[in-house]
Amino acid sequence: MKNILFILFFATIFSGFTKEDPPKTAEVKLKTSAICGMCKKRIERDLGVTKGIVGSNLNLDDKVVTVIYNPKKTNPKKIKNAISKIGYDADEVIADQKAHDALPGCCQKSAAPHKD
Amino acid sequence: MKSLKKIIYISICFTLVLFTTAGFAQNLTGVVLDNTNGKEEAIVGATVHWLGTKVATQTDIEGKFSIPRTKSGQLIISFVGYQSDTLNISNETDLKVYLKSENQLQEVVIRSGSTAIDRLSPHQTEIITSKALAKAACCNLSESFETNASVSVSYSDAVTGAKQIQLLGLAGTYVQMNVENVPSLRGLATTFGLNYIPGTWVQSIDVGKGAGSIVNGYESMTGQINVELQKPDISERIYLNTYVNSLGRGEVNLNLAKILKSENGKPRWSVGLLTHGSTLQSNIDKNHDNFYDLPKYTQVNFINRWKYESDKLMAQFGVKFLHDNRLGGQIVKNPLALDDIIYRFTNSTNRVEVFSKTARLFPNKPYKGLGLILSGIIHDSKSQFGFRPYDGKQNTIYGNLIYQDIIGNTNHTYKTGISFLYDNYHERFADTLMKRTEIVPGAFFEYTYKYLDKFTAVVGARTDFHNLYGTIFTPRLHVLYNINPDNALRISAGKGFRTPNPFAEYFGNLVSSRTVRFLDRIKPEIAWNYGFSYTRHFGKSSLIVDVYRTNFVNQLIADTEHPQFLYFYNSQGSWNSKANYANSAQIELNLIPVNRLEFKVAYRYTDVWNTIGKPFNQDITVRKMFIPRDRVLFNVGYALPYDKWKWDFTLQYNGTRRVPNLSPSYQHTSYESMPIQYAPAFVNINAQVSRSFRRWDVYVGGENLNNFTQKNPIITPDTPFGTRFDAGSAWGPVVGRIIYFGTRYKLGGII
Repeated sequence: MKNILFILFFATIFSGFTKEDPPKTAEVKLKTSAICGMCKKRIERDLGVTKGIVGSNLNLDDKVVTVIYNPKKTNPKKIKNAISKIGYDADEVIADQKAHDALPGCCQKSAAPHKD
Repeated sequence: MKSLKKIIYISICFTLVLFTTAGFAQNLTGVVLDNTNGKEEAIVGATVHWLGTKVATQTDIEGKFSIPRTKSGQLIISFVGYQSDTLNISNETDLKVYLKSENQLQEVVIRSGSTAIDRLSPHQTEIITSKALAKAACCNLSESFETNASVSVSYSDAVTGAKQIQLLGLAGTYVQMNVENVPSLRGLATTFGLNYIPGTWVQSIDVGKGAGSIVNGYESMTGQINVELQKPDISERIYLNTYVNSLGRGEVNLNLAKILKSENGKPRWSVGLLTHGSTLQSNIDKNHDNFYDLPKYTQVNFINRWKYESDKLMAQFGVKFLHDNRLGGQIVKNPLALDDIIYRFTNSTNRVEVFSKTARLFPNKPYKGLGLILSGIIHDSKSQFGFRPYDGKQNTIYGNLIYQDIIGNTNHTYKTGISFLYDNYHERFADTLMKRTEIVPGAFFEYTYKYLDKFTAVVGARTDFHNLYGTIFTPRLHVLYNINPDNALRISAGKGFRTPNPFAEYFGNLVSSRTVRFLDRIKPEIAWNYGFSYTRHFGKSSLIVDVYRTNFVNQLIADTEHPQFLYFYNSQGSWNSKANYANSAQIELNLIPVNRLEFKVAYRYTDVWNTIGKPFNQDITVRKMFIPRDRVLFNVGYALPYDKWKWDFTLQYNGTRRVPNLSPSYQHTSYESMPIQYAPAFVNINAQVSRSFRRWDVYVGGENLNNFTQKNPIITPDTPFGTRFDAGSAWGPVVGRIIYFGTRYKLGGII
């Protein structure tokens, strides 16, 4: 019986996590210096684990990343700084030099444009 | 009215048929090429088929194909040794497809989610990915199977801290344990071997059930587990893991990888260093029996390996070193004892391993290859059980040369080669000395027939010339039949052979006052294994049902029915007798109702019997000890995108199992009339939460959250030098709830 209660307890915790209503979100579009698919993956992943960001999508045609975020937890300025720390320009905030230099050669600004 | 409806219906059908036939009247044609070296070369015999249909064809001698169009918009082109290509087809007519070479002697495997099933392998193989390994957060191989339904892990005794796995109702000693296809955790390493591979070193684990491929030798009986370690050329440059738990166990794992030289963007030379250090120095005695619940220990362990890769040659070589120190037994001298003695268990193990793997590749013929595996092991283990010492030394040299090619076209492939094994054992327990040297050259041939993606049959056999036990012939058969892309049937049958190492395999039983008696000269163990499995995929979810039987021709019986003796003897019986066997049936459902939410429910039934009684010249078939008949596993995991937050919950139900009668008043006088004792069933709950940051992961979790422990796991702990002392018959957890916390730091990955 004790075990069953335990399971129920955990089940409630889990359902609490999963069924929570998504908080009100805002959206911002930022021009980046992304070059290729690897950049896209990296930026989307790193933004994905950043505080307050719900999701993001980078369009490689115009290099604009659309970020959906929770305005209670973050703001566009912080998001731009986060992108800069990944190694890319975000609008007027230029890439953090150290982070940029650590990127693979094909993803640095000097690299020739390529698709994959 | 009715007829009008019918007419409309027929006309609709008719127009539909018309449209479809009109739309797909023309065949789709194309050519499949390889352009690895800048030259275009036709790929002959590549399979071309429409996704989700039975429409398939193969490329001809010029690499050309012609296939009727279907409603499926996705065309799959596959060929052994190349990465399969899926093309979206709308109204293209003449295709030109370049396949990329796999450039490895490995089978194509789809690795997604946390549990994957190798769909192409005729062996029933589950893949535990690094994602599934992260669910258990910790710490070494023995904890990696926590969320796996097929393999279960248990402590074998209440003192040494050794862990044993079970597969198909039999001990892990009947499973061939390979590290990157090199037989590694065998012989004397079976005792603590699972603690020798830290979880953070592991990239993935393949769990194969049933008889394995003969290419890796004759030792696999119930299955084979292959551990793939982090590769120096594709890993993060720095991977640091730290871990601490509520018992005071601390761990640091540091993996380093560096590409030394690359050409055309591909790594040529790379080097990797995997390191591990862990320790537990607190006195844990939660059940107040004056015995350490877990031994104090320190382990230092590393692997350094170098990898070279070019179009024609792939080579790896490296060295492993391990030092492990354990102290268990009584914490303080019994204050009531008159003498000044204390029962201690100590173990000190040193192990050095060198290995090399070389493969000659043929760039335009990826189905062809020549591989050589070489390894050498020195294992030295020294222990003390109270007054009784145990020393074990093992020296092993192993070599395996494999050649792989096709007969005519890739529907017929084969692997053949020669192997060599030198095993030298020197063991001494108290005044019993066991020495043996095995020299085993052997040869093998394995033929694979493949008909499209529908049917695969693997027939293999090997002959080994054993210096002690004569010629060993080992046949194996595997069949895979894909009824359609989502339903697969597998059948396997094969023989296995191994030489047992009684002291290493029943190490935990030595922590007792039992007298060890060998009633026979120990013969090698021989078993036949037959199995059948059915896999069904629906969407991302899957259902697996399997049934296996292992039948022993000869088995080493470790008889602990008499509380004062540990008897070793050979079993009686022949290959079809019902004397010593294990039946196992399992049903497993992996459900992914929505993205990032996974459920796993599995039930396993095992029925394992032994024929014992030789010490009293009796013959009685009873359930094998310590094997639970029923086991249920339930796991649920949920993650946010990119694993920003991840929750995981696991519940295991372990059914009742037979245990020895250890009541101090029990007098064992007969096998036929002995009372049969069962240990109660118990539940084990684990849960974990983790949070990912850009470079960091942090996790916190708990093991055995329901805090279940076996009461009195040690018999007569007050008198460890008395006649009834026994700590080797534990069946459940000795320590209760454990809470742990850990971090991972990754730098310089590809993404």
